[in-house]
Amino acid sequence: MWLVVLQSCWVKAYKLMTRYLFNMLSGFVTLYMVFALLFFGAKSIGGSAIDLGDTLEGIFAGYLTWMLAMMGSTELAWNVTNEAQTGTFEQQYLSPVGYRWIAVFTESFNFVYNVSLIFLIALVMAATTGQEIHLHLGSTLPVMLSVYIQATGLGFALAGLALMYKRVQSFFQVVQFLMVGFFLIPWDRFPWARYLPLAASQRVLQRIIMNGDRIWQLPAADLILVLCVTVTYVALGAALFALAESKAKERGVLGQY
Amino acid sequence: MASLVVSDLTKTFREKKRVVEAVKNVSFSVGEGEMVGLLGPNGAGKTTTIKCTLGLVKPDSGRIEVEGVDAWRERRKSAAKLAAVLEGARNTYWRLTVWENIVYFAGIHGIPVSRGGDYFKYLLSVLKLEEQKDVEVRKLSSGYKQKTAVACALAKRTPIVFLDEPTLGLDVEASYDLREALRKLQSEEGRTMVISSHDMKVIQDVCSRVIIISRGRIVTDEKIPDLLTLFAARRYKVVISQNGDDGAIRRAETEALERFPGCEIRRNPQTVDVLVSLADGRQIYELVEIMRTSGVAIETITQEEVDLEKAFLEVVRREARACG
Repeated sequence: MWLVVLQSCWVKAYKLMTRYLFNMLSGFVTLYMVFALLFFGAKSIGGSAIDLGDTLEGIFAGYLTWMLAMMGSTELAWNVTNEAQTGTFEQQYLSPVGYRWIAVFTESFNFVYNVSLIFLIALVMAATTGQEIHLHLGSTLPVMLSVYIQATGLGFALAGLALMYKRVQSFFQVVQFLMVGFFLIPWDRFPWARYLPLAASQRVLQRIIMNGDRIWQLPAADLILVLCVTVTYVALGAALFALAESKAKERGVLGQY
Repeated sequence: MASLVVSDLTKTFREKKRVVEAVKNVSFSVGEGEMVGLLGPNGAGKTTTIKCTLGLVKPDSGRIEVEGVDAWRERRKSAAKLAAVLEGARNTYWRLTVWENIVYFAGIHGIPVSRGGDYFKYLLSVLKLEEQKDVEVRKLSSGYKQKTAVACALAKRTPIVFLDEPTLGLDVEASYDLREALRKLQSEEGRTMVISSHDMKVIQDVCSRVIIISRGRIVTDEKIPDLLTLFAARRYKVVISQNGDDGAIRRAETEALERFPGCEIRRNPQTVDVLVSLADGRQIYELVEIMRTSGVAIETITQEEVDLEKAFLEVVRREARACG
């Protein structure tokens, strides 16, 4: 049963993605352009004083985390809004596995797609800038997954808001800026910042990409922190979504837009 | 054995200062393999009842049992037994083809194409969707879109299927095709179906029993032939001539309206029709007496043929009068 549902979600997500080909291609171009702007912007400001090799990897690490976080957090909420708008949302609820699992399965497809997209952008970026980006898949992938899962936790919370209030798109933008804040707050001055979503994973990812560290070379405490933060935020997000879902059912607004 | 049992279902919506009692103590059961029509005016509580059963709207109180499973306590078990086409929603992905939609919706119900493929094809043939199989739903007419939604619901092979306004917006031919298909599938598979519709022909054609909901309460729950017989026996048309004294005709009209408040008067060029539903057949003598004392000439008295639409209107109007 579960495998059939997983497969159905993946096939549907893939087919819908290919049917909206222009949207898919423009997504790629936009992500590439933002990254190019960041990189060439840094180059023009820093000039020759900046070691471009490090800069590319540094910018890439930050951009990677932000991009994954943005995708993971907003896609779920967009999905709720879109499906409610197109009139398919309540049909998902009729599945015996429940909507939450359908959302998780769809997000798992999105993770694979987004990671592939990111690696493709990295390749194009390396070719465009003439710089090399060192990505060790075995080390970067688990941390990218942790970023995505935490973001999905945030996404569940946003999707809960979308269930209740329907139009919450403007709030998405606030969350995107908040996410940047999560990993920019310095830990030495604000020690609690390490417990914020994405912050710990971003640091670990930065070390892997910039220093070329392997995941097993990193301090166990850092990895445990990433694991705990990941589990906490996805559980919190799912709990908030469950609460919103219950309220929406009480108000009879589940499939309304 | 009852497939579906709804007991004392109550749901109230609170919107700012407004409180809407959508469903009040609704109780009914649907037997295995039965096709039941759910009728009611707009806002009567049909969709709320259906959505509470499907687990999409949380009831304030009451109990819903789906094949012996508590629909709210054992949500997943009951969901596995239910499928639905919901009113006012597309129900399908317009960018996917008819086949892809069927495969997806059956898939999220745990039925892979390897197990359900032959049945999916059979559904396409019964619903006359074979030629549209590989066409994206957005490119289809509303009739085919609706048939696709029905196919997606039926493809799950659940023992209970809810169809909320399945023929809404369909032309005569598409509606007829869908009714034919539903009748055929029901006779072959014996699934329990609850059909909510404004289209009386659909209910009269397909269902054996009708539940009429008005203002959130069940006002009638009868086998359709019984309901029609009941109203056929009560509904009379008295035709009086217009050639006589106009004052006498007005007197007759006034008295008839006073004595039988629901009675309908239709003025034709030569005649006046007095249409009346009588609680007891013997009341026809009272009506004849009114005509006699008013001094009008009766041309004919006929017992009206009643279809479901007339019976439904009668029930709903009676309920409205009773509620003031």
